[in-house]
Amino acid sequence: MTHTITFTFNGNAIQCEEGQSIAAALINSNQRELRRTRFGDEPRSIFCGIGICFDCVVLINGVANQRSCLVEAHDGMIVESAQ
Amino acid sequence: MIIVIGAGPAGLAAAEAASRNGSEVALFDSASRMGGQYWRHRAAVSGYRSNRADEIFAKVSSAQSITHISEANIWSAEREGGLIRVNYLQGGIESSLTAEKVIIATGAYDRTLPFPGWDTPGSMTPGAAQSLLKGQGVLAGKRIIIAGTGPFLLPVATGLAEAGADIVALIDANSPLRWSLSPLALLTNIAKFSELMYYARLIRKYRIRPQFRRAVTAYEDGVATISAINSRFHIKPGKSQTMRADVVAVGWGFVPDLSLGGILGCAQRVDSDGTVIFEVDENQMSSQPHIWIAGEATGIGGADLSLVEGEIAGLAASGQTIEKALLRKRVRKQRFADALKRTYPVRDGWREWITSDTTICRCEEVKSQEIKDSVSDLGAEDSRTSKLFTRAGMGLCQGRMCSRNVSEIVSGITQCAVTDGERIAASNRPIAAPISLGQLSDGKNSR
Amino acid sequence: MKNPDAIVIGAGIVGASSALSLTNAGLKVLVIDRGAVSSGTTGAGEGNILVSDKDPGPELALALHSRNLWFEMQDDVGDSFELEAKGGVVVARRDDGPLMKLASEQSQHGVMIEKCNQSRLHELEPYLHPDISSGVFYPQDAQCQPMLAAAHVIRTVVQRGGEFISQAKVTRINVENGAVTGIETTRGTFNAPIIVNATGTWAGELAELAGSHLPIAPRKGFILVTEPTKKYIFHKVYDSDYVANVASSDADLQTSTVVEGTRSGTILIGASRERVGFDGAMNYEILRTLAAQATSLFPVLRDVQLLRAYRGFRPYAPDHLPVIGQDAKVKGLWHSAGHEGAGIGLAPGSAALITDAILGRDSFMDAAAFSPARFGRVKS
Repeated sequence: MTHTITFTFNGNAIQCEEGQSIAAALINSNQRELRRTRFGDEPRSIFCGIGICFDCVVLINGVANQRSCLVEAHDGMIVESAQ
Repeated sequence: MIIVIGAGPAGLAAAEAASRNGSEVALFDSASRMGGQYWRHRAAVSGYRSNRADEIFAKVSSAQSITHISEANIWSAEREGGLIRVNYLQGGIESSLTAEKVIIATGAYDRTLPFPGWDTPGSMTPGAAQSLLKGQGVLAGKRIIIAGTGPFLLPVATGLAEAGADIVALIDANSPLRWSLSPLALLTNIAKFSELMYYARLIRKYRIRPQFRRAVTAYEDGVATISAINSRFHIKPGKSQTMRADVVAVGWGFVPDLSLGGILGCAQRVDSDGTVIFEVDENQMSSQPHIWIAGEATGIGGADLSLVEGEIAGLAASGQTIEKALLRKRVRKQRFADALKRTYPVRDGWREWITSDTTICRCEEVKSQEIKDSVSDLGAEDSRTSKLFTRAGMGLCQGRMCSRNVSEIVSGITQCAVTDGERIAASNRPIAAPISLGQLSDGKNSR
Repeated sequence: MKNPDAIVIGAGIVGASSALSLTNAGLKVLVIDRGAVSSGTTGAGEGNILVSDKDPGPELALALHSRNLWFEMQDDVGDSFELEAKGGVVVARRDDGPLMKLASEQSQHGVMIEKCNQSRLHELEPYLHPDISSGVFYPQDAQCQPMLAAAHVIRTVVQRGGEFISQAKVTRINVENGAVTGIETTRGTFNAPIIVNATGTWAGELAELAGSHLPIAPRKGFILVTEPTKKYIFHKVYDSDYVANVASSDADLQTSTVVEGTRSGTILIGASRERVGFDGAMNYEILRTLAAQATSLFPVLRDVQLLRAYRGFRPYAPDHLPVIGQDAKVKGLWHSAGHEGAGIGLAPGSAALITDAILGRDSFMDAAAFSPARFGRVKS
């Protein structure tokens, strides 16, 4: 059986299966808006899904511009959509 | 030692072939599991052609002389004496590996075209919907429209339907009748019919109604506009409909990733469909000694062609004999790849779908009007100068998503065709993957 | 355009400013370029408008005046090229003696300086390495977006009756009785008694076309561009290690890394004093050196990702001074080139010098040090 882990996204607890990417976990939790753009404040989500487009970037444990479609979620991770 | 970069079909075939005479192979991939974008399967392989993927995974995994270096992002490569060194990041640490020979099989990603609303959540590439499903076990949405052009839309649509999504439309901008342009390719690739039949069965099973010569030309507030288009992709007036969908997955074929070969100086050319690809000889060798290239980076052709090219490159790099039959097989697969290009062209009528406030560069949020102004007011004449004025293509993705579209938009205004030089320049980047300044400077101290 | 008064060759910032200055003096100006606007060195520049990195002498005098002309040009053309007097901070990591001595000398020549102790330095740049305790603040140092500047300046020239023709490569310069009469290009022949050579790294080749000689060569310089970040860097910041060695002709001289933020949020890392040419293809060791220097100034940059790196070709003369003035041999051929890494900053000042010389007016300084004649008449 897969193991369930918990991380936070903008302060809210998100549960997912171990090994899932942050983006997948968030989409699966109906959290489609991953960030807002820095000039127009427009919502953005996963787009290419394979790490090319950088549209799904989030702040992970304080490090900016991490591609949530590539980074596996881990227990206790702090994920934020702030720029 | 042979370094194989990329563990998709081409890279796996190359590694497997090279290992047959015991050559040491280091197989690099950025993912944790082998398979690349095409065979991106979560636990077990399923769907069409699963046997072949299983077989090659098994061979590569069991070969003593192949080391699989996973989750490694190669950010640069350089010549060092007669050898080639690749610099890569793994777990946040930079390392490098040096070898006599390199096989580049870095694959491709979805080609996208802008349309109003393509930057809103819910709009994504078919590859994204596919990778969420096959790689993560997550459905991108409930009501999904799959659109764009090309045969890749079929496995995406049927895969999502199989997993429980409602595929409310499957739309190709081109008509399947265009296959009649390529009778020889069809006749010499009969096996493709059974693949088509496999998907046709699934399409019937899930009651998906394919539509042709249509395109998603806008997506706003969960409503997609589907327009009838002519063969130049111009919208036919009065024939648009709207449809609710929580996901529109639109893809227009593929763009190969050329970064590493470009850094190593491998010569490139513009393919008949405008895609920049590498020049290779009949053994898949690039213009640079000791560098072979296989798969999508030598011309978009799909997994079948990639497997053959990878096998040839692996045999050539390890100094083994290449049977004539294998070269003939490549000719046959190449013919089919050419037919794909003829059947599923992307015409420039898409430039009419965008409005003045349509985002063109997603990273820097550059709107269509700004690109137009950069040409008409500031004198930009190509994507490079337009980019200097507007920042289109200057963001995190470094123009991987938009540079080709910017070129086409500028060309539409200046009425000058995009030059091969511009296409090649816009396809090359000196940093193949992001690296932090700390990692970069630590690399200096460790050398 | 029929019968322009002057033809400016080169639509980079040096050519654009010259064209504007001549236009404002009442001349009908034709600008031509072998590519598009900003397609040469200007398109690979950081937009440095610096006084801090100049030793007292003619180049500093030019830089100081040119810096003020940038703001006049902004008033003239419009606030369209992100001109900003952000100021420069030069820090001393070891012995601050040479830096303080240079700053004192600079201040006697009109440079505004503020010698900073540790707390002032860190007030100016809060993310600076805590061990750095001495430096000089140069409030006059400024920055612009040079590609936008050249484009808006050319646009203004055209609005005022000038003309711009792109993709026109000069194939011949016509000279009669020792004076220019016009040029032949891939897009036609144009005649004018005044021709301004503002072709940067190609200025030497252009001089050859007129049967003259100009020893200007291209030199490669690297610039690193990071991902957009939150605001970590508030000024142009660089290290003064080079100051002690500035008079030396040592071929192994170090580069001095300039670190600065841009309006778009990216951080540019380039070298301000490049006494040593970098050659060859993309050189990752140089990227590592630049990254190491930048992160040693600002440790916070360690986690910031590099997005791209590019090479610019900077035109330079053997004595590292710009070449501004009439050709030593051919009348009516005026050069404004060889500005090396300082072309953006020196552009409007050079344009004023060229315009004054063409019109025979007094200028704000004696331009003898920049004269093309200083290299002697070669191959006559």
